[in-house]
Amino acid sequence: MSSTERTDGDDDGTAGFVAQWRNGAYNCFSSGHKFCREVCPVMQVTRNEVHTPTAFHANVVAMEKGLLDIADVARDYVHCTGCGACELRCPNTLFTGDFYRFRTRTVQLVKAARALAVDQGIHQPGWQRWVEETDRQRSEPVLGGEVPVSQDHVRDWAAGLDLPVGGETILFCDCEGAFHRTSVPRAAAKILKAAGVEFGLMREQWCCGGPAAEMGYVERAREFARHNVDDWRAVGAKRIIVFDPHDYISFTEDYPSYFGDAYDFEIVLFVELLAELIRDGRLPLTNPVERTVTYHDACRLNKRKGIHAAPREVLRAIPGLTFKDVDHVTQWSYCSGAGGGLPIERPDLTAEISRRRVAKAAALDVDTLVSACVWSERPLTEQRGQLEIMDLLEIVALSAGLEDAA
Amino acid sequence: MTSTLVTDPVIDELVAICGPDNVFADRSSRVNRARVPAPFPVHRWAEHVPDVVVLPTTAEQVSEVVKLANRHRIPVVPRAGGTGLTDGAVPLRHGIVVDVKLMNKVLEIDLDDRTVTVQPGINMLKLNEELRPHGVIYPDDPASYPCSLVGGRIGTSGWSLIGGRYGHTRDLVISFQIVLPTGELIWVGDGGGRKVRKSSTGYQLKHLFMGHQGTLGIVTEAVLELVPRPEAEFAAFFSYPDYETAWRSTGALAKSGLATLAGVVLFDEWKLDYLRRDDEAYIPQPADVRCVVATAMYGTTDEVRPGASRLMRIGAETGGAYLGDEISQGDWASRHDRYATPLHGRLRDGQVVPMSWHCEDASINWSQLPQVRREWHDIVARLGDRFRIFDDWGMFAYTNGAFKPWGDYLTEIDVGIWEQELDDAAWDAWVTAKRDIAAVAIAHGGSISACHGACRAGEVDLVPTELGGGWDVMKKVKRVLDPLNIMNPGKYLLDEAYEGDPS
Amino acid sequence: MIGFRLSAQRPPEPRRVNDVVVQRFDHVYEVDPALMSEHVRQHDFPAWDTRRIVDSRWEHLAWMHAHWADSVVSGEELLSLRASTTDE
Repeated sequence: MSSTERTDGDDDGTAGFVAQWRNGAYNCFSSGHKFCREVCPVMQVTRNEVHTPTAFHANVVAMEKGLLDIADVARDYVHCTGCGACELRCPNTLFTGDFYRFRTRTVQLVKAARALAVDQGIHQPGWQRWVEETDRQRSEPVLGGEVPVSQDHVRDWAAGLDLPVGGETILFCDCEGAFHRTSVPRAAAKILKAAGVEFGLMREQWCCGGPAAEMGYVERAREFARHNVDDWRAVGAKRIIVFDPHDYISFTEDYPSYFGDAYDFEIVLFVELLAELIRDGRLPLTNPVERTVTYHDACRLNKRKGIHAAPREVLRAIPGLTFKDVDHVTQWSYCSGAGGGLPIERPDLTAEISRRRVAKAAALDVDTLVSACVWSERPLTEQRGQLEIMDLLEIVALSAGLEDAA
Repeated sequence: MTSTLVTDPVIDELVAICGPDNVFADRSSRVNRARVPAPFPVHRWAEHVPDVVVLPTTAEQVSEVVKLANRHRIPVVPRAGGTGLTDGAVPLRHGIVVDVKLMNKVLEIDLDDRTVTVQPGINMLKLNEELRPHGVIYPDDPASYPCSLVGGRIGTSGWSLIGGRYGHTRDLVISFQIVLPTGELIWVGDGGGRKVRKSSTGYQLKHLFMGHQGTLGIVTEAVLELVPRPEAEFAAFFSYPDYETAWRSTGALAKSGLATLAGVVLFDEWKLDYLRRDDEAYIPQPADVRCVVATAMYGTTDEVRPGASRLMRIGAETGGAYLGDEISQGDWASRHDRYATPLHGRLRDGQVVPMSWHCEDASINWSQLPQVRREWHDIVARLGDRFRIFDDWGMFAYTNGAFKPWGDYLTEIDVGIWEQELDDAAWDAWVTAKRDIAAVAIAHGGSISACHGACRAGEVDLVPTELGGGWDVMKKVKRVLDPLNIMNPGKYLLDEAYEGDPS
Repeated sequence: MIGFRLSAQRPPEPRRVNDVVVQRFDHVYEVDPALMSEHVRQHDFPAWDTRRIVDSRWEHLAWMHAHWADSVVSGEELLSLRASTTDE
């Protein structure tokens, strides 16, 4: 057993990281209360304290005291989906975050720790490959590294839909939807057309950069962001419609942090626009959908942004549907395990988190689990058992008579 | 920082017992299992880091680990949630931390004989989510309800906010399986029947282990009471223009004899001043709201409604002004996760700093509350005069007796400590103040700790004084059950039990 | 307005409530920012985040009530019942 005293020589990266996070870390470390633990989807499975938000914050204090360095904990920080349950549930946010304008920011801390690791040459092999591939092809290698997701194919999902390029309103299509679950962006585009909303696609769409930012590859993330914003400006876009909650986070949190006040785009979340279109009678839902469903609150909508009413309003508008809801506060502790790069480095963990999510849905005696997050749908589908996993846009398209012919 | 006893062959043996995935010798696993929420000497963190951590999944594995520890004379420190407030799970001699969090299953729900059997790593809120479809609840409700674990509740003999109605941990845990310090696996309860609540067969062994702070073994399974889910909840908060009136009203409310009364909580003037700094319920309160008393009731609707009417009348007749539904219901609902928020900390110039939270928890009889309050605030004020890192966050007094909420009170003074500036001088002053606070409790016929345990630096020195002749009995028990001083050694001054032993 | 605009996230200027508390949004108290000038600095806190936290807090408290009991008895209702019976 070696001594834990560390003598870091010129570890500017660590010193800067510790200085930036010191108060945030002590805010958690000094309270020690751990109300975060039981809502964390990773902790529910591993029960290992080094995966807790408590440890994520305590590590910063330990680094300051010379008890740990980033090499000791880099792998621990892999164990996070970025769902935001912990930082919302934390009393330092929930009871006083608004009062002090100072809250728990575990999601940012995890990203910053991952970036520190990368800066010091500590790479998670799966993530490193993922980001390199994304950089090469400009989209995430969602079909496995061998199947190209190049710019030549980034608009293939829209075949036959006659969508223009450019304009004041752009529909942004995330990588998982563009290449894997193409029924989701197709539903989105058809819904917008049927409701009379004018929009176009990007000239040259790159990945939003969110995954690179989450995995600690900060410069890559900024490059993607710069490219996308330049593309938006080049076609005169003022308004970006986005259906993937991960992209919504990138465009409403990451991009403002990169570009500041110059970032003057309006970012519209598809499900909120959809609820409005239905409310205004612009999208008649004529076909009954005879299913018994429950709704999976997307983490990046419910926990990270407080968006949980619009998807439920949409589901309740669909004729023929029996909707067995689980309230959005109970769902603070639910997750599919798909976020934060976890499926790439710990696919076994993602699988178990999804298995448990599906089991909770199955216990309600439903035939369908509906999600508003295209990324959640792949691991949920892999664990689906007897249930069908559908995206909210797919089920709306069915009811609006817009689904693709079989 | 570490002992030299945990060698690679020992790690190999642990792996053979628990499997390679559940034995952790890496730095991060050990450094992150050193503290609990109580104020911690951050500058001496290394002294409390264990040598190795295991996450067992069966009682047999726990038993084998403890036997190994005896063979090699390595300390064992049990760790459930690590959310206790008396440093029970803080290693004093490094060693093996036995972390029970993987043992978190519900093993059986028996709706006929009204029990649920669980493993020690389960949290009460998660347990109650599973019990809800059956119309039952396990009402052990500490301020750490959403995060503390059943094993720790037994280890501390925990206190429940609604103990006046439903009892505390020791009233709600019917029986449990425990690995003794020498490795034997036994069941203890009221007598031998696992689901029997009251027995006179043999010594009352269950109570011996309630609150042992991991010094007498490791709980591996527990049978818990199932209570009908309440139809109705009622909470009423009253305000008072002075402490004396509030204190008398507290007594009247607690003595009301209402069967559904779950608890009465007295907030003193310092607590109101503290809450006015940042609690949205109290910021707008007029200056003549000097103290508050909170009450709550649970039961069937036809019991709670008339009981609540009577309680409201008693509150008003004894000088209380009802603060309204929004505050009463909102504040009461927040009490189930009421550990302290660091940014409540203030320096004397009013600047915000993140502070750790010391939560004193003496048991004090009603008649002594006013004087204890004066002496405690005095101690903390003098401490704050010398070191700017201490902040007085005021006092609560909660009804303490199970089912009989009128005799004694869990009496809490909350002290904020700015841990970033802790050094040896401040820490030593703190330990002295802590001892002085405990001495006041004893001097007024009370007990140092209602529910956390009395293992903290400073107060632990007075445990022999408080227990009197009982201290010798406690040492004898420890010595007999743990001949080699393996279980959480150094806790509770129990090294004294071994004085005169050949080393 | 359902879209996100960065410019709309800037919180309004604070108005004083008492020595140590200010208000920017209705029904939302905040610490006087001057008290977080030396040792702990406030975060950039866009309006959506304040809204999310305030709403979540009330939703969490409602969830806690429902977790423990099927219904909540109102003290104000009991007081008004008693007042109306004594009026008879």
